[in-house]
Amino acid sequence: MDRDTILAVIVGQIREVVPELAERPIVETESMAELGLDSIERSEIIMNTLEAIGLDLPMVQLHGPKNLGELADLLHAKSRT
Amino acid sequence: MDLAAGIEALNVYGGAASLDVRQLCLHRGLDMPRFDNLLMREKTVALPFEDPVTFAVNAAKPLVDALSAKDRSRIEMVVTCTESGIDFGKSLSTYIHHYLGLAGNCRLFEIKQACYSGTAGLQMAVNFILSGTSPGAKALVICTDLSRFALADAAAVQEWAYSEPSSGAGAVAMLVSDTPHVLRIDQGAYGNHGFEVMDTCRPGPDTEAGDADLSLMAYLDCCERAFKDYARRVDGADFRDTFAYLCFHTPFGGMVKGAHRHLMRKLFKAKPDDIEADFVRRLSPSLSLGQRVGNTAGGSVFLGLAGLLESIDLAAPCRVGLFSYGSGCCSEFYSGVVTPDGQSRLRAQAISAQLDRRHLLSLDQYEELLKGTQVIRFGQKDASIAPDTIPAAWEAYQGQGRLALEGMVGYHRQYRFV
Repeated sequence: MDRDTILAVIVGQIREVVPELAERPIVETESMAELGLDSIERSEIIMNTLEAIGLDLPMVQLHGPKNLGELADLLHAKSRT
Repeated sequence: MDLAAGIEALNVYGGAASLDVRQLCLHRGLDMPRFDNLLMREKTVALPFEDPVTFAVNAAKPLVDALSAKDRSRIEMVVTCTESGIDFGKSLSTYIHHYLGLAGNCRLFEIKQACYSGTAGLQMAVNFILSGTSPGAKALVICTDLSRFALADAAAVQEWAYSEPSSGAGAVAMLVSDTPHVLRIDQGAYGNHGFEVMDTCRPGPDTEAGDADLSLMAYLDCCERAFKDYARRVDGADFRDTFAYLCFHTPFGGMVKGAHRHLMRKLFKAKPDDIEADFVRRLSPSLSLGQRVGNTAGGSVFLGLAGLLESIDLAAPCRVGLFSYGSGCCSEFYSGVVTPDGQSRLRAQAISAQLDRRHLLSLDQYEELLKGTQVIRFGQKDASIAPDTIPAAWEAYQGQGRLALEGMVGYHRQYRFV
Protein backbone atom coordinates (compact mmCIF):
# COMPACT_ATOMS: atom_id res chain seq x y z
CA MET A 1 0.00 0.00 0.00
CA ASP A 2 1.49 3.37 -0.97
CA ARG A 3 1.99 6.22 1.41
CA ASP A 4 -0.90 8.39 0.16
CA THR A 5 -3.32 5.50 0.40
CA ILE A 6 -2.22 4.99 4.02
CA LEU A 7 -2.79 8.71 4.65
CA ALA A 8 -6.29 8.39 3.20
CA VAL A 9 -6.95 5.43 5.50
CA ILE A 10 -5.84 7.50 8.52
CA VAL A 11 -8.13 10.39 7.53
CA GLY A 12 -10.98 7.94 6.98
CA GLN A 13 -10.47 6.46 10.44
CA ILE A 14 -10.40 9.94 12.00
CA ARG A 15 -13.78 10.71 10.43
CA GLU A 16 -15.18 7.38 11.60
CA VAL A 17 -14.04 7.78 15.21
CA VAL A 18 -15.05 11.45 15.40
CA PRO A 19 -18.07 11.95 13.12
CA GLU A 20 -18.06 15.70 13.88
CA LEU A 21 -15.06 15.95 11.53
CA ALA A 22 -16.86 14.35 8.56
CA GLU A 23 -17.16 17.58 6.60
CA ARG A 24 -14.02 19.33 7.78
CA PRO A 25 -11.06 19.40 5.38
CA ILE A 26 -8.09 17.57 6.92
CA VAL A 27 -4.56 18.15 5.65
CA GLU A 28 -1.43 16.14 6.32
CA THR A 29 0.39 18.97 8.09
CA GLU A 30 -2.18 18.83 10.88
CA SER A 31 -1.80 16.67 13.98
CA MET A 32 -4.59 14.71 15.59
CA ALA A 33 -4.24 16.92 18.68
CA GLU A 34 -4.79 19.99 16.50
CA LEU A 35 -7.96 18.37 15.23
CA GLY A 36 -9.17 18.26 18.84
CA LEU A 37 -8.79 14.52 19.37
CA ASP A 38 -7.97 13.29 22.85
CA SER A 39 -5.34 10.62 23.60
CA ILE A 40 -7.91 7.81 23.67
CA GLU A 41 -9.25 8.80 20.26
CA ARG A 42 -5.73 9.14 18.85
CA SER A 43 -4.80 5.62 19.92
CA GLU A 44 -8.06 4.20 18.60
CA ILE A 45 -7.41 5.77 15.19
CA ILE A 46 -3.89 4.30 15.07
CA MET A 47 -5.19 0.88 16.12
CA ASN A 48 -7.95 0.96 13.50
CA THR A 49 -5.49 2.10 10.84
CA LEU A 50 -3.10 -0.76 11.64
CA GLU A 51 -5.98 -3.20 11.31
CA ALA A 52 -7.15 -1.65 8.03
CA ILE A 53 -3.71 -1.84 6.42
CA GLY A 54 -2.98 -5.29 7.83
CA LEU A 55 -0.07 -4.39 10.12
CA ASP A 56 0.47 -5.92 13.57
CA LEU A 57 2.98 -3.86 15.56
CA PRO A 58 3.46 -2.76 19.17
CA MET A 59 1.74 0.61 19.52
CA VAL A 60 4.84 2.19 21.12
CA GLN A 61 6.66 1.81 17.79
CA LEU A 62 4.25 4.37 16.35
CA HIS A 63 4.97 7.09 18.88
CA GLY A 64 6.68 10.22 17.64
CA PRO A 65 5.14 11.53 14.38
CA LYS A 66 4.21 15.20 14.71
CA ASN A 67 1.45 15.24 12.13
CA LEU A 68 -0.65 12.99 9.89
CA GLY A 69 1.88 13.07 7.05
CA GLU A 70 4.68 11.87 9.31
CA LEU A 71 2.42 9.14 10.69
CA ALA A 72 1.68 7.98 7.14
CA ASP A 73 5.43 7.99 6.35
CA LEU A 74 6.18 5.89 9.43
CA LEU A 75 3.41 3.39 8.73
CA HIS A 76 4.54 3.16 5.12
CA ALA A 77 8.12 2.46 6.23
CA LYS A 78 6.95 -0.16 8.73
CA SER A 79 4.79 -1.87 6.13
CA ARG A 80 7.83 -2.38 3.86
CA THR A 81 10.04 -4.06 6.47
CA MET B 1 -5.51 -30.06 48.38
CA ASP B 2 -3.81 -26.84 47.35
CA LEU B 3 -3.23 -24.14 49.92
CA ALA B 4 -5.53 -21.18 49.39
CA ALA B 5 -4.08 -17.68 49.39
CA GLY B 6 -5.29 -14.22 48.59
CA ILE B 7 -7.03 -11.22 50.08
CA GLU B 8 -8.74 -11.93 53.40
CA ALA B 9 -9.94 -8.35 53.96
CA LEU B 10 -9.70 -5.12 51.99
CA ASN B 11 -10.36 -1.49 52.81
CA VAL B 12 -10.03 1.77 50.90
CA TYR B 13 -9.31 5.16 52.39
CA GLY B 14 -10.27 7.92 49.97
CA GLY B 15 -9.13 11.03 51.83
CA ALA B 16 -10.73 14.06 53.42
CA ALA B 17 -11.27 16.38 50.46
CA SER B 18 -12.36 16.13 46.84
CA LEU B 19 -12.52 18.25 43.71
CA ASP B 20 -14.92 18.27 40.76
CA VAL B 21 -12.77 17.29 37.75
CA ARG B 22 -14.97 18.90 35.08
CA GLN B 23 -14.70 22.22 36.91
CA LEU B 24 -10.93 21.81 37.09
CA CYS B 25 -10.69 21.18 33.33
CA LEU B 26 -12.79 24.26 32.58
CA HIS B 27 -10.66 26.27 34.99
CA ARG B 28 -7.46 25.16 33.24
CA GLY B 29 -8.96 26.03 29.87
CA LEU B 30 -8.60 22.47 28.62
CA ASP B 31 -10.58 21.94 25.46
CA MET B 32 -12.27 18.58 26.01
CA PRO B 33 -15.29 18.45 23.71
CA ARG B 34 -15.99 14.81 24.58
CA PHE B 35 -15.12 15.02 28.28
CA ASP B 36 -17.83 12.49 29.20
CA ASN B 37 -15.99 9.78 27.22
CA LEU B 38 -13.07 10.06 29.62
CA LEU B 39 -15.28 8.79 32.47
CA MET B 40 -13.90 11.12 35.14
CA ARG B 41 -15.97 12.81 37.86
CA GLU B 42 -14.10 13.71 41.05
CA LYS B 43 -10.65 13.31 42.50
CA THR B 44 -9.32 13.20 46.04
CA VAL B 45 -6.92 15.98 47.02
CA ALA B 46 -4.55 15.47 49.95
CA LEU B 47 -4.66 18.12 52.68
CA PRO B 48 -1.54 19.40 54.49
CA PHE B 49 -2.13 17.13 57.52
CA GLU B 50 -2.31 14.07 55.25
CA ASP B 51 0.62 12.15 53.78
CA PRO B 52 1.22 8.60 52.50
CA VAL B 53 1.48 7.34 56.09
CA THR B 54 -1.83 8.81 57.26
CA PHE B 55 -3.61 7.49 54.15
CA ALA B 56 -2.12 4.04 54.70
CA VAL B 57 -2.89 3.85 58.40
CA ASN B 58 -6.43 5.15 57.89
CA ALA B 59 -7.01 2.40 55.31
CA ALA B 60 -5.45 -0.41 57.35
CA LYS B 61 -6.58 0.40 60.88
CA PRO B 62 -10.18 -0.85 60.54
CA LEU B 63 -8.86 -4.18 59.22
CA VAL B 64 -6.29 -4.58 61.99
CA ASP B 65 -8.70 -3.46 64.73
CA ALA B 66 -11.20 -6.11 63.60
CA LEU B 67 -8.69 -8.92 64.25
CA SER B 68 -8.33 -10.81 67.52
CA ALA B 69 -5.06 -10.20 69.38
CA LYS B 70 -3.92 -13.68 68.30
CA ASP B 71 -4.61 -13.03 64.62
CA ARG B 72 -3.02 -9.57 64.80
CA SER B 73 0.16 -11.14 66.14
CA ARG B 74 0.33 -13.27 62.97
CA ILE B 75 0.88 -10.25 60.69
CA GLU B 76 4.48 -11.05 59.80
CA MET B 77 5.03 -8.76 56.83
CA VAL B 78 4.01 -5.18 56.03
CA VAL B 79 4.64 -4.26 52.40
CA THR B 80 4.03 -0.66 51.40
CA CYS B 81 3.57 -0.13 47.67
CA THR B 82 4.07 3.45 46.56
CA GLU B 83 5.57 6.02 44.24
CA SER B 84 5.07 8.70 46.90
CA GLY B 85 7.95 7.77 49.19
CA ILE B 86 9.06 10.18 51.93
CA ASP B 87 12.63 8.96 52.49
CA PHE B 88 15.25 7.17 50.39
CA GLY B 89 16.16 4.74 53.18
CA LYS B 90 13.50 4.37 55.83
CA SER B 91 10.41 2.67 54.51
CA LEU B 92 6.84 3.87 55.00
CA SER B 93 6.15 0.43 56.50
CA THR B 94 8.09 1.33 59.66
CA TYR B 95 5.74 4.22 60.47
CA ILE B 96 2.66 2.23 59.48
CA HIS B 97 3.71 -0.78 61.57
CA HIS B 98 4.18 1.52 64.58
CA TYR B 99 0.84 3.32 64.34
CA LEU B 100 -1.02 0.05 63.79
CA GLY B 101 0.59 -1.41 66.91
CA LEU B 102 1.84 -4.58 65.21
CA ALA B 103 4.23 -7.17 66.68
CA GLY B 104 7.99 -6.83 66.25
CA ASN B 105 8.56 -10.14 64.46
CA CYS B 106 7.60 -8.63 61.13
CA ARG B 107 9.25 -7.91 57.75
CA LEU B 108 8.94 -4.21 56.93
CA PHE B 109 9.74 -2.85 53.51
CA GLU B 110 8.56 -0.68 50.64
CA ILE B 111 8.42 -1.43 46.93
CA LYS B 112 8.19 0.72 43.83
CA GLN B 113 7.30 0.23 40.19
CA ALA B 114 4.91 3.10 39.45
CA CYS B 115 1.28 1.91 39.38
CA TYR B 116 2.33 -1.77 39.16
CA SER B 117 3.63 -1.64 42.76
CA GLY B 118 0.40 -2.86 44.36
CA THR B 119 0.24 -6.01 42.29
CA ALA B 120 3.95 -6.64 42.90
CA GLY B 121 3.28 -6.33 46.63
CA LEU B 122 0.24 -8.56 46.54
CA GLN B 123 2.08 -11.26 44.61
CA MET B 124 5.03 -11.13 47.04
CA ALA B 125 2.62 -11.58 49.93
CA VAL B 126 0.63 -14.35 48.23
CA ASN B 127 3.81 -16.23 47.44
CA PHE B 128 4.96 -15.83 51.07
CA ILE B 129 1.71 -17.44 52.21
CA LEU B 130 1.91 -20.18 49.56
CA SER B 131 5.51 -20.97 50.44
CA GLY B 132 4.27 -22.46 53.72
CA THR B 133 7.37 -21.28 55.57
CA SER B 134 5.24 -19.78 58.35
CA PRO B 135 1.91 -21.63 58.43
CA GLY B 136 -1.02 -19.40 59.40
CA ALA B 137 0.93 -16.15 58.90
CA LYS B 138 -0.68 -13.04 57.45
CA ALA B 139 0.77 -10.16 55.46
CA LEU B 140 -0.45 -6.60 55.24
CA VAL B 141 -0.07 -5.06 51.79
CA ILE B 142 -0.82 -1.35 51.60
CA CYS B 143 -0.88 0.74 48.45
CA THR B 144 -0.69 4.43 49.30
CA ASP B 145 -0.19 7.24 46.86
CA LEU B 146 -0.93 10.89 46.53
CA SER B 147 -0.05 13.41 43.88
CA ARG B 148 1.04 16.64 45.49
CA PHE B 149 3.34 18.65 43.36
CA ALA B 150 4.91 22.02 43.88
CA LEU B 151 3.14 24.01 41.23
CA ALA B 152 5.08 27.13 41.92
CA ASP B 153 4.71 28.65 38.49
CA ALA B 154 2.95 28.36 35.15
CA ALA B 155 5.68 26.10 33.74
CA ALA B 156 5.12 23.55 36.51
CA VAL B 157 1.37 23.64 35.91
CA GLN B 158 1.99 23.08 32.20
CA GLU B 159 4.31 20.10 32.82
CA TRP B 160 1.67 18.44 34.98
CA ALA B 161 -1.23 19.34 32.67
CA TYR B 162 -1.39 15.92 31.00
CA SER B 163 -2.38 14.20 34.23
CA GLU B 164 -3.60 16.83 36.68
CA PRO B 165 -7.29 16.03 36.06
CA SER B 166 -6.78 12.31 36.65
CA SER B 167 -4.18 12.34 39.47
CA GLY B 168 -5.87 11.46 42.72
CA ALA B 169 -4.95 10.24 46.17
CA GLY B 170 -5.91 7.20 48.19
CA ALA B 171 -4.82 4.07 49.95
CA VAL B 172 -5.91 0.45 49.75
CA ALA B 173 -5.05 -1.94 52.57
CA MET B 174 -5.19 -5.69 52.02
CA LEU B 175 -4.78 -8.40 54.57
CA VAL B 176 -3.29 -11.39 52.73
CA SER B 177 -3.60 -14.86 54.21
CA ASP B 178 -4.61 -18.49 53.72
CA THR B 179 -8.27 -17.55 54.37
CA PRO B 180 -8.88 -15.39 51.29
CA HIS B 181 -12.49 -14.32 51.79
CA VAL B 182 -12.39 -11.34 49.40
CA LEU B 183 -10.25 -12.64 46.52
CA ARG B 184 -8.81 -16.13 46.22
CA ILE B 185 -5.88 -15.85 43.85
CA ASP B 186 -5.75 -18.45 41.06
CA GLN B 187 -2.38 -20.04 41.70
CA GLY B 188 -0.02 -19.98 38.75
CA ALA B 189 -2.53 -18.04 36.65
CA TYR B 190 -0.71 -14.88 35.65
CA GLY B 191 1.09 -13.26 32.76
CA ASN B 192 3.63 -10.45 32.60
CA HIS B 193 4.94 -7.98 30.09
CA GLY B 194 7.56 -5.33 30.76
CA PHE B 195 10.06 -3.26 28.80
CA GLU B 196 11.97 0.00 29.22
CA VAL B 197 9.95 3.03 28.13
CA MET B 198 9.93 6.66 29.31
CA ASP B 199 6.19 7.23 29.33
CA THR B 200 5.59 8.83 32.72
CA CYS B 201 7.91 9.38 35.65
CA ARG B 202 8.46 11.20 38.92
CA PRO B 203 11.95 12.64 38.38
CA GLY B 204 11.84 14.56 41.68
CA PRO B 205 9.83 14.42 44.88
CA ASP B 206 7.48 17.19 43.79
CA THR B 207 7.35 16.75 40.06
CA GLU B 208 5.76 14.43 37.57
CA ALA B 209 6.33 14.36 33.84
CA GLY B 210 5.04 12.27 31.01
CA ASP B 211 3.63 11.79 27.56
CA ALA B 212 -0.04 10.85 27.46
CA ASP B 213 0.18 9.17 24.03
CA LEU B 214 3.24 7.08 24.81
CA SER B 215 1.80 6.04 28.16
CA LEU B 216 -1.45 4.95 26.58
CA MET B 217 0.40 3.03 23.84
CA ALA B 218 2.57 1.21 26.40
CA TYR B 219 -0.53 0.39 28.46
CA LEU B 220 -2.30 -1.04 25.39
CA ASP B 221 0.73 -3.10 24.35
CA CYS B 222 1.11 -4.45 27.88
CA CYS B 223 -2.56 -5.28 28.26
CA GLU B 224 -2.47 -7.41 25.10
CA ARG B 225 0.86 -9.08 25.80
CA ALA B 226 0.34 -9.71 29.53
CA PHE B 227 -2.99 -11.38 28.73
CA LYS B 228 -1.34 -13.48 26.02
CA ASP B 229 1.30 -14.55 28.55
CA TYR B 230 -1.52 -15.46 30.97
CA ALA B 231 -3.20 -17.50 28.21
CA ARG B 232 0.12 -19.25 27.51
CA ARG B 233 0.24 -20.40 31.14
CA VAL B 234 -3.45 -21.19 31.65
CA ASP B 235 -4.96 -23.92 29.49
CA GLY B 236 -8.16 -22.82 27.78
CA ALA B 237 -8.05 -19.21 29.02
CA ASP B 238 -10.35 -17.03 26.94
CA PHE B 239 -10.58 -13.28 27.52
CA ARG B 240 -14.33 -13.24 26.82
CA ASP B 241 -15.44 -16.40 28.63
CA THR B 242 -13.04 -17.06 31.50
CA PHE B 243 -13.77 -13.94 33.55
CA ALA B 244 -17.22 -12.89 34.75
CA TYR B 245 -15.78 -9.46 35.58
CA LEU B 246 -12.63 -7.45 34.94
CA CYS B 247 -10.65 -4.88 36.95
CA PHE B 248 -7.94 -2.90 35.20
CA HIS B 249 -5.51 -0.34 36.55
CA THR B 250 -7.43 2.89 36.01
CA PRO B 251 -5.52 6.13 35.30
CA PHE B 252 -8.99 7.27 34.22
CA GLY B 253 -12.01 5.32 32.99
CA GLY B 254 -11.60 6.24 29.33
CA MET B 255 -8.18 4.58 29.23
CA VAL B 256 -9.59 1.31 30.53
CA LYS B 257 -12.35 1.49 27.96
CA GLY B 258 -9.75 2.03 25.24
CA ALA B 259 -7.70 -0.95 26.43
CA HIS B 260 -10.75 -3.20 26.54
CA ARG B 261 -11.68 -2.14 23.00
CA HIS B 262 -8.11 -2.75 21.84
CA LEU B 263 -8.10 -6.27 23.29
CA MET B 264 -11.55 -7.20 21.99
CA ARG B 265 -10.60 -6.09 18.48
CA LYS B 266 -7.19 -7.72 18.53
CA LEU B 267 -8.32 -11.03 19.99
CA PHE B 268 -11.79 -11.45 18.50
CA LYS B 269 -12.27 -8.74 15.83
CA ALA B 270 -15.36 -7.86 17.87
CA LYS B 271 -17.85 -5.31 16.55
CA PRO B 272 -18.37 -1.93 18.31
CA ASP B 273 -21.83 -2.80 19.73
CA ASP B 274 -20.58 -6.08 21.20
CA ILE B 275 -17.52 -4.35 22.65
CA GLU B 276 -19.67 -1.67 24.27
CA ALA B 277 -22.09 -4.22 25.77
CA ASP B 278 -19.21 -6.31 27.11
CA PHE B 279 -17.54 -3.22 28.61
CA VAL B 280 -20.73 -2.14 30.38
CA ARG B 281 -21.36 -5.64 31.73
CA ARG B 282 -17.89 -6.77 32.79
CA LEU B 283 -15.69 -3.70 33.30
CA SER B 284 -17.74 -0.61 34.09
CA PRO B 285 -18.72 -1.78 37.63
CA SER B 286 -15.03 -1.61 38.58
CA LEU B 287 -14.87 2.11 37.72
CA SER B 288 -17.36 3.25 40.35
CA LEU B 289 -14.86 4.24 43.06
CA GLY B 290 -12.00 5.32 40.80
CA GLN B 291 -14.30 7.89 39.17
CA ARG B 292 -14.60 9.54 42.57
CA VAL B 293 -11.01 9.31 43.83
CA GLY B 294 -8.92 9.67 40.67
CA ASN B 295 -5.85 7.65 39.86
CA THR B 296 -4.48 6.09 43.04
CA ALA B 297 -1.49 4.49 41.28
CA GLY B 298 -0.56 1.16 42.89
CA GLY B 299 -3.93 0.86 44.58
CA SER B 300 -6.08 1.62 41.57
CA VAL B 301 -6.65 -1.97 40.41
CA PHE B 302 -7.79 -2.88 43.95
CA LEU B 303 -9.95 0.22 44.15
CA GLY B 304 -11.49 -1.30 41.02
CA LEU B 305 -12.03 -4.60 42.81
CA ALA B 306 -13.65 -2.81 45.75
CA GLY B 307 -15.90 -0.81 43.41
CA LEU B 308 -16.86 -3.99 41.60
CA LEU B 309 -17.79 -5.80 44.80
CA GLU B 310 -19.73 -2.78 46.07
CA SER B 311 -21.80 -2.44 42.92
CA ILE B 312 -22.57 -5.84 41.36
CA ASP B 313 -25.22 -8.41 42.22
CA LEU B 314 -23.27 -11.53 43.11
CA ALA B 315 -25.23 -14.71 43.71
CA ALA B 316 -22.45 -17.28 43.31
CA PRO B 317 -18.64 -17.38 43.25
CA CYS B 318 -17.15 -16.07 40.03
CA ARG B 319 -13.79 -15.35 38.47
CA VAL B 320 -12.37 -11.84 38.07
CA GLY B 321 -9.54 -10.94 35.70
CA LEU B 322 -7.17 -8.22 36.93
CA PHE B 323 -4.73 -6.15 34.92
CA SER B 324 -2.05 -3.99 36.49
CA TYR B 325 0.24 -1.60 34.60
CA GLY B 326 3.02 0.61 35.95
CA SER B 327 4.83 3.14 33.78
CA GLY B 328 8.38 2.55 32.88
CA CYS B 329 7.09 -0.23 32.49
CA CYS B 330 5.88 -3.53 33.95
CA SER B 331 2.47 -5.16 33.84
CA GLU B 332 0.61 -8.26 34.94
CA PHE B 333 -2.66 -9.98 34.07
CA TYR B 334 -3.90 -12.37 36.77
CA SER B 335 -7.11 -13.69 38.21
CA GLY B 336 -8.95 -14.79 41.30
CA VAL B 337 -12.33 -15.83 42.62
CA VAL B 338 -14.79 -13.62 44.50
CA THR B 339 -17.78 -14.86 46.50
CA PRO B 340 -21.00 -13.43 47.96
CA ASP B 341 -19.47 -13.84 51.44
CA GLY B 342 -16.45 -11.74 50.44
CA GLN B 343 -18.77 -9.16 48.92
CA SER B 344 -20.68 -8.76 52.24
CA ARG B 345 -17.39 -8.36 54.11
CA LEU B 346 -16.21 -5.70 51.67
CA ARG B 347 -19.52 -3.85 51.73
CA ALA B 348 -19.32 -3.68 55.53
CA GLN B 349 -16.43 -1.20 55.09
CA ALA B 350 -18.96 1.30 53.62
CA ILE B 351 -16.35 2.78 51.30
CA SER B 352 -18.70 4.88 49.14
CA ALA B 353 -20.37 6.33 52.23
CA GLN B 354 -16.96 7.41 53.48
CA LEU B 355 -16.23 9.12 50.12
CA ASP B 356 -19.55 10.98 50.41
CA ARG B 357 -18.25 12.62 53.59
CA ARG B 358 -15.20 14.24 51.96
CA HIS B 359 -15.05 18.04 51.93
CA LEU B 360 -15.77 19.36 48.43
CA LEU B 361 -13.05 21.90 47.63
CA SER B 362 -13.69 25.12 45.76
CA LEU B 363 -11.22 25.93 42.99
CA ASP B 364 -9.83 28.76 45.11
CA GLN B 365 -9.17 26.35 47.98
CA TYR B 366 -7.57 23.88 45.56
CA GLU B 367 -5.29 26.54 44.06
CA GLU B 368 -4.27 27.62 47.54
CA LEU B 369 -3.39 24.03 48.43
CA LEU B 370 -1.33 23.68 45.25
CA LYS B 371 0.92 26.51 46.32
CA GLY B 372 2.05 24.07 48.95
CA THR B 373 3.05 26.62 51.55
CA GLN B 374 1.48 24.50 54.31
CA VAL B 375 2.93 21.21 53.10
CA ILE B 376 5.99 19.34 54.39
CA ARG B 377 8.43 18.80 51.55
CA PHE B 378 10.77 15.90 50.90
CA GLY B 379 14.00 16.36 52.84
CA GLN B 380 12.62 18.94 55.25
CA LYS B 381 14.18 18.63 58.73
CA ASP B 382 11.85 20.46 61.10
CA ALA B 383 8.32 21.74 60.59
CA SER B 384 4.96 22.03 62.20
CA ILE B 385 1.64 21.94 60.41
CA ALA B 386 -1.34 24.17 60.88
CA PRO B 387 -4.08 21.60 60.28
CA ASP B 388 -6.91 24.05 59.77
CA THR B 389 -5.95 25.55 56.39
CA ILE B 390 -9.45 24.56 55.37
CA PRO B 391 -11.33 24.73 58.68
CA ALA B 392 -14.41 22.75 57.61
CA ALA B 393 -12.30 19.86 56.32
CA TRP B 394 -10.24 19.69 59.52
CA GLU B 395 -13.41 19.87 61.64
CA ALA B 396 -14.90 16.91 59.77
CA TYR B 397 -11.66 14.91 59.96
CA GLN B 398 -11.53 14.80 63.74
CA GLY B 399 -13.41 12.45 66.05
CA GLN B 400 -13.09 9.35 63.87
CA GLY B 401 -9.80 7.98 65.17
CA ARG B 402 -7.88 8.95 62.06
CA LEU B 403 -4.18 9.66 61.93
CA ALA B 404 -2.99 13.21 61.19
CA LEU B 405 0.49 14.53 60.41
CA GLU B 406 1.57 17.17 62.92
CA GLY B 407 5.09 18.00 61.86
CA MET B 408 8.74 16.98 61.63
CA VAL B 409 11.37 16.88 64.34
CA GLY B 410 14.86 16.13 63.05
CA TYR B 411 13.44 14.52 59.87
CA HIS B 412 11.17 12.30 62.02
CA ARG B 413 7.53 12.61 61.09
CA GLN B 414 5.19 13.21 64.00
CA TYR B 415 1.61 11.94 63.93
CA ARG B 416 -1.39 11.86 66.21
CA PHE B 417 -4.74 10.09 66.10
CA VAL B 418 -7.42 12.77 66.21
